[in-house]
Order: sequence, then structure tokens, then C-alpha cells
Amino acid sequence: MIRSLLAWLDDRTGYAGFLHEALYERVPGGARWRYVWGSTLVFTFSVQMITGFFLWSAYSPSANTAWESVYYIENEMTFGSVVRGLHHFTAQLMIVLMAVHLVQVIIDGAYKAPREVNFWLGLVLMQIVLGLSLTGYLLPWDQKGYYATQVSTKIMGNAPLVGQQVQELIQGGPKYGHHTLTRFFALHAGLLPISLIAFLGLHLYVFRRHGLTVKDPDHAPETTFWPDQVLKDGVACLAVLLLVLGLAIWKGAELSAPANPSENYAAARPEWYFLFLFRFLKFEFVEHFGLAFGSIYVPGALMGVVAAMPLLGRWAIGHKFNVAFTWTLTICIGGLTLMAFYEDGRDENHQAAILEAHRDAERIKELASGPNRIPVSGAVTLLREDPFTQGPRLFAKHCKGCHRYDGHDGRGRLVYAGTADGGQVPAAPTAADLGQFGSSAWMNSVVVDYSNHFAALKNSGWFKNASGEDVLNPDESEMADWSGDAESLRSEENTQNVAALVAFLVAQSGHNTRDGKAITHDTAVVDRGRKLAVEGDWAGAINGTSCADCHATVGESFSEIGADDADGYPNLSGYGSAAWLKSFLSNPGAGQHYGEKNQMPAYAKRMTPVEMHLLVRWLTGDYVETKVKPYEDRREQPVTKE
Amino acid sequence: MSDEIPQAEETPESDPSEETAESAAADEVGAGGDSAKASETSPDLGSNESQETEAAEGDESLDEAEQAVSVVDGETDEEAAGGDDEEEVEGDDNEEEREEQNEEEDLARRAFVTQVLAGSIGAVVGLVPVLSGLIFFLDPLIRGGQSSSDAATGSSVQKDAEGFIKLPVTRSLLPSDGTPQQVTVEDDLVDAWNKFPKVPIGSVWLLRSESNAVTAYSTICPHLGCAVEYRGARRDFYCPCHLSAFKLDGSKDNPIPPRDMDSLAVKRDTGEEIWVQYRSFRGGISEKVEI
Repeated sequence: MIRSLLAWLDDRTGYAGFLHEALYERVPGGARWRYVWGSTLVFTFSVQMITGFFLWSAYSPSANTAWESVYYIENEMTFGSVVRGLHHFTAQLMIVLMAVHLVQVIIDGAYKAPREVNFWLGLVLMQIVLGLSLTGYLLPWDQKGYYATQVSTKIMGNAPLVGQQVQELIQGGPKYGHHTLTRFFALHAGLLPISLIAFLGLHLYVFRRHGLTVKDPDHAPETTFWPDQVLKDGVACLAVLLLVLGLAIWKGAELSAPANPSENYAAARPEWYFLFLFRFLKFEFVEHFGLAFGSIYVPGALMGVVAAMPLLGRWAIGHKFNVAFTWTLTICIGGLTLMAFYEDGRDENHQAAILEAHRDAERIKELASGPNRIPVSGAVTLLREDPFTQGPRLFAKHCKGCHRYDGHDGRGRLVYAGTADGGQVPAAPTAADLGQFGSSAWMNSVVVDYSNHFAALKNSGWFKNASGEDVLNPDESEMADWSGDAESLRSEENTQNVAALVAFLVAQSGHNTRDGKAITHDTAVVDRGRKLAVEGDWAGAINGTSCADCHATVGESFSEIGADDADGYPNLSGYGSAAWLKSFLSNPGAGQHYGEKNQMPAYAKRMTPVEMHLLVRWLTGDYVETKVKPYEDRREQPVTKE
Repeated sequence: MSDEIPQAEETPESDPSEETAESAAADEVGAGGDSAKASETSPDLGSNESQETEAAEGDESLDEAEQAVSVVDGETDEEAAGGDDEEEVEGDDNEEEREEQNEEEDLARRAFVTQVLAGSIGAVVGLVPVLSGLIFFLDPLIRGGQSSSDAATGSSVQKDAEGFIKLPVTRSLLPSDGTPQQVTVEDDLVDAWNKFPKVPIGSVWLLRSESNAVTAYSTICPHLGCAVEYRGARRDFYCPCHLSAFKLDGSKDNPIPPRDMDSLAVKRDTGEEIWVQYRSFRGGISEKVEI
């Protein structure tokens, strides 16, 4: 029954002959592992078609939905990270397999007559695959893809004659935007895959026409494609699949922060398989000849040589040249790639930039999965308005000149000063390290170790020149004097009292932890601390001395005291709180703050109100809770005593 | 279908035989060299023709089809040679023959017209969608950059008619020792169908000289568009991507960048305020060409 059905089908379609031809291709010399590369490439392409289709079903190409839809695929959809991971890693593996396939074809001389045309078809396929990589890299519209692709399209714009026009056509305009995505997507999911299918069809057809290139037909008895070679191919594809699946599950495809045209992305690098070209462009001798030379003419000439190989290969010496050329090129590419990795690994700035990029990527996930989801204006506004993300950047921009944050510039990088001989050394801070600002460690240090707490001031010019001693020397400064009272203040009988005072000061500041978590306060202890601050209910010699003796307003929430009301003592109402900080930053030299002793610039006009708001919220821990690890503490000696 | 047209069109000129259709079929078979095609095409085009072709029609096995091809080819050659015979026939004044010949010429002419018609219609139906699509795709070049950066804005961005935007810093607050300060530029951004009011569109490096003059540089590296950073320890600018380096006066300090940093126009006589004309320029070339 089935047999007659099949016969009927064969009569009408001729499938049996086709199948026979497809499966019983002669394999002289027996099935070999060395023949599997082409098959794995066809396999990887199939994986891309399949996973690509499914990703397509959830992807939305526009500047304010692309990243968002990929975020949703990656983090929320069932199996989203697996499918995207497969697509992501298979794409990279395809490049590797393609390189192996090409090198093998050249070494085996499989490009020689009559297979020249098929070799060229293969090179066309290679260009299409590279085009797919380039277009695919941008589609998530994350910082990494956005900035790396910018470089590629700028290089395109430097091509002679119509480079500029081609660049604008592909970008959909002079700058990146919605239409860059719609066009890249149309190329990535439309034109390029269709061309790939067409050329792959031709490639396979011509391959079958000429048969395998067999070096030693006597290796083993002749066999057929099915089942011997198919089994080997199948095992190779299985290995490819396991590798890619493993990477997809355990490593996962990266999604960096959403593209932000106004935010520097210092970690920008091309995909690893283009690093050699990237490194090549950094040679000064390359740049002497202009950008088009290094990025277009040289790669173009190398491709030209490869394309000319079938013609050169007519002579025995030509084949030797081809093989030598291929090995040299492979070694150079490998060498440059390693060089790029090595240099980036040692480049402190690049490592800091990568770390920041990872933090941003982690942080945006926290924000996007929050109860308010992603606003219509796109995820980039979430980061732009997030104090935890912007605070460190603002600190590095405005504060790191004098202050440090855990010993770094807020963004995890050391601050350097130039030396006379052109080198650089870590610069000494000239003001307090604000990493612990408002925490109990900070409050404790201010109370019991005032002189040391602000010791960084001693590095500054003004301190050495003039009035510094007024501030930190216990003989000159009342605060330093009171705080320096080791016998009484730091005696055992006052330990509980100091802890209570510190608890009160922390409560008054209203800070959260640096993770953005609210701090729960023990009301009884805080009240005890308030009493100490206002009434000076201490044990021992300092009994009766209170904060309020000098800082009249301590214990209240921040209230503005006019310059006229200033009594020469800093206003400690709501010390460290958002309101206090804003007032202080706007004008630290106001009577109610440091008055005439102030050395810090006023920031009222140096920052926009939005910037100041973000900075203050960051310093007070006022943001959506985070699990992002803080930057490494880079203080040489912790300023505060724990 | 369209593949067959050029061959078919050539036939009447190169081969003035009466059996155009058949020779076209022969060409098909010869060119295709594949049995399925032979058996497909012969019945359509050569239905009233030689038995040999009909034999090919019935058979599906490769060998026999090939045989048929060679036979058909042979026949075509014969007919090509038959051109000479025709001249003899002309001299013969046989009316029947002449009529037959007229008829045949008529047939050839009709076939020619059919081919031209089919070809042109094919071209039109194929080209119209392709061309419209291509023109559509050329939209960015045809309409040009529809950047609205100089248009007066309805939002709170302070911007004058020449496109100078007021920055959120004042002159005297810039470091007086010439240390550059990075300032974000905000403007309305139009992206195709969207208008984003007052968003950061880029940033500039601002430097104040001792004479209180302010210079502004785009932070976009003229090399390949990464962001140029300030290196405090060396008091210079550099780009973390390909290591372009610039002096504080914007001039290039190594051969990597193709030109100096892109300076931006700062509005004159604005007192404490700083107004900058924010622009982007093409990367990678030695001339400063605005995008």
C-alpha cells in the first residue's frame, strides 16, 4: 500500500531519483572527518533560520522598542534566553567554521579547476554571512552594538565614490535612528538570508556536480554519502549543537544597556572575530595612509588575493603561494587578535569601562523588571533618571577633583596626577572620601575622630598655605578639640552613648543603605542619641557638653538658616539629608554651612538642577533597591575606623 | 519564464528556419541538459513537430532524454542548412511552395511579435515593483537629511535662529586654568515619526582661556566616532577606541585621527551665558564636513 503510494508520488514528482542522487553521492576513499566542515556550516545556517524566525516573532525594530523587546525575550519569555543564546553563539561559531572550511579548501587545493566557480560562490557566501553578523550585531540596540556598528558604518562611509551614499542608505539617514533599525532588520531577516539560500543552493549544486576533492582515494574503500558520511556529519553537528547550547545556557548572550547616543561608551569593541582589524587600525603606520587604507583597501586587497587563488593555482608554484599566503594571513589574524585581547586586558581604563558596562546592564534589568515596567519613551530614560546609574558619573564629573568615593572616582577608576617626566601617579585626594557619607561609619568617625576623618584636607594647597590648622588642629578647632577627647569620649563608659548618638545622626540624615534599602532604626536608641545631641547627657568629663551647644539646630529636620542668622557653626539640622545636601552643595560657603572657612566651590550653577537632584539622591541611597556589586574599595588605608 | 525570452528572441535572426518554435525548444533542451525540462518544454512548444521530439516527451529516463536532445540538435542543424534549400525553392516558382513559404514567414513574424510582446510585458511586470521599491529605498538620499536641528523648538530648550543652544553652565564657573569640562547638550530630537522633547543629543568639551574666551569641541572623535575623553594626568584628550590623542587646543597629537578635534561655534557677546552651535561631522576624513 505504502509502496504503491510512494511509487505514485515518484511517478508524479521523481523524488526517488532526486533522493538517490542526494544520498548516494560517491565518497571515494571512504567517509572522513575532514569532510564535515561544510555540513556543519549548512547545519549552523539552518539553526540560524529556525531560531531567527522565532526571535523575529518577538522582536520589534524601532529605537524605543528594539532593546525593550530583546530585554523581554532574554529575561521574561519562556526559553527566550536559550533561543537568543543559540542564535547569538551559532552566529559566532559560523564565522569560525567558515574560516576553517575556507582554509581547508585552500590547503587541499579544492579551489582548482574545475571548482573555481564554486570557490567564488563560497566567497560570496562568506560576504553574506559577514553582512548578517554586522546587521545582527546592531539589532538589540544596546550600547555595545550601537557604538561598534557606528564604527563599521563610518568605515563604510569612507569607501571611495559612493561610500557616503551607501552609508546613508543603510542607516536610513545621516544619523542612527528608527530607520537604521528597520533597514538593518530588513537586510538581516530578508535580503541577506534569501541571498544566502540562493547562493548556498548554487554552491551545493556545483559541489555535487564536481564531487568531493579527494586527496588519497586509497585511504579506504569507496563508499557513499549515506549513511557513512552522514553519520560523521551528524556527529559533528551534534558537537556543534552541544557547544552552542552549552554557551547559551551557561554563558548567555550579552545584552548591554540600551543605546544612548549621548552617553560615552568607552568599552566599544567590535565582535571578537573582527578584533584583528580593529587592532590593525590602531597601528600608527596604518593611519599614516588614511583610514580607508587600513579599513577598506588592505582588507579588500587581501580578499582580492583570495579570490584570485583559483587563477594562481593553475601553476604548482601558485598553489604553494596560496597555501603560504593563507597560513601567513591566519597567523597574522590570530596574532593581532591575541594582541588586542592582551592589550585590552592590561588597559585599566578599558577594564573599568567594561565593568561599568556590565553594571549598567545589570542595573537596567532591575529597573525594567520593576513594577512600573519600561516607559513608552524607552528603557534609556530609566537609566537616565536613575540616581544609582547617574550618581557615579556626576561624581566623576564634578567631585573627583578633590573627593574620592571608596578611593576611586565614583566609577571605579583611580584618579591620576601627571608627573614631571610625563608619567602618572595616583593623585592624593584633597577632601573627604564620600563613599561612606551619612552612614554610621561616617557619623562615628566625624564624632570620635574628627581630625583624621578630614585628614585628606591636609593635601590641599589652601591647607598648607594658611588657615588649615584652624580646621583640624585640636588647639585651634573646637570640634577637633571635643572629638579628640580620647579619655572621656572614647572611654568604655561612653561607648553606648556614642553608638546612640551615631544612630540618631544616621536616622536624622534619612539615608538608605548603598543598596537602596531603607534602614530600620531602633527608636529607643535614636531617642537616647537625640537627648545626647541636644542635652549632652554624657558620662565622665564631657558630661553637659552637647552638639547643640554650638550647632543650635541639631535634632530638627533640615531648616534653612539665612546667612544673617549664621553663628559661625555649621547647620546640622538634618545633617547629610537630601535637603541639607542640596543647600550645602549649592553654596557651601553660606553662613549656615562653612562660612568663611569654606574652600569648596558652590555648585548651584555648575550643575543643572536635575544633575544635583540625581547626585543627592545617589549620595543618600534614594533609588530602587539594587543587587549590583559596588566597585572595589580602592582606599589605601580606610579613612574610617570600623 | 523570463530566462527563455532572450534565447527565443534571437532565434529568428540567427536561424531563419520556419520551425522557430521547435528550434527554440531545441535550444532549451541543449542549454538545460536536464531531462525533466526537456520533457516539460517539448510538448508545449513542439507539439506539431518531429516524432523524435515527441519521443523525448514520453520518456523520463535520463539517457533517452539525452539521446533525444542530440537528435533534436541534429535536426536543427539540418534546418539551418535547409536555408540553402529554400533559395533553390524560390527559384522554382512553385506556387504551392511559395504559399507555404509565405505562411511560414507569417508564422515566424507572428512568433517574433509574440516574443517581443511577452518579453516587454515580462520586463514591465518585473521592473515596476523592483523600481518602485528601489526608489522607496533611496528615500534618505532623495529627501536628504531631514534634520530639524535648527528649527525653533516648542519645548523649554533655549535655542536661537542660528541653532545656538544655551548650555546649563556659565562662563565664570568653568575652571580658569583651562581644564576642560564636559557639558551635555540637550535639544529636541526628531527621529522619523517621533519627536523627543529636550533630550540629551550629545556633549561638548568646554575650555576657558585666561582671556575668558570659551572654546567648544565636540566629544565625538573625528576618527570613527567614539567619545573623546579628558586625561587629567597628561592634560590631553584621547579616545579609548583607537587611541587618537589631541592636545588641549584640539590639535591632533598622533597620526591616528585624520584631523583635529571638531570645534563648535560659540556665540559671541553672551556675557556669562554660553551658547553653542551643536553639530556632527563625518568621521574618518581630513576635511570637516557637516552631516
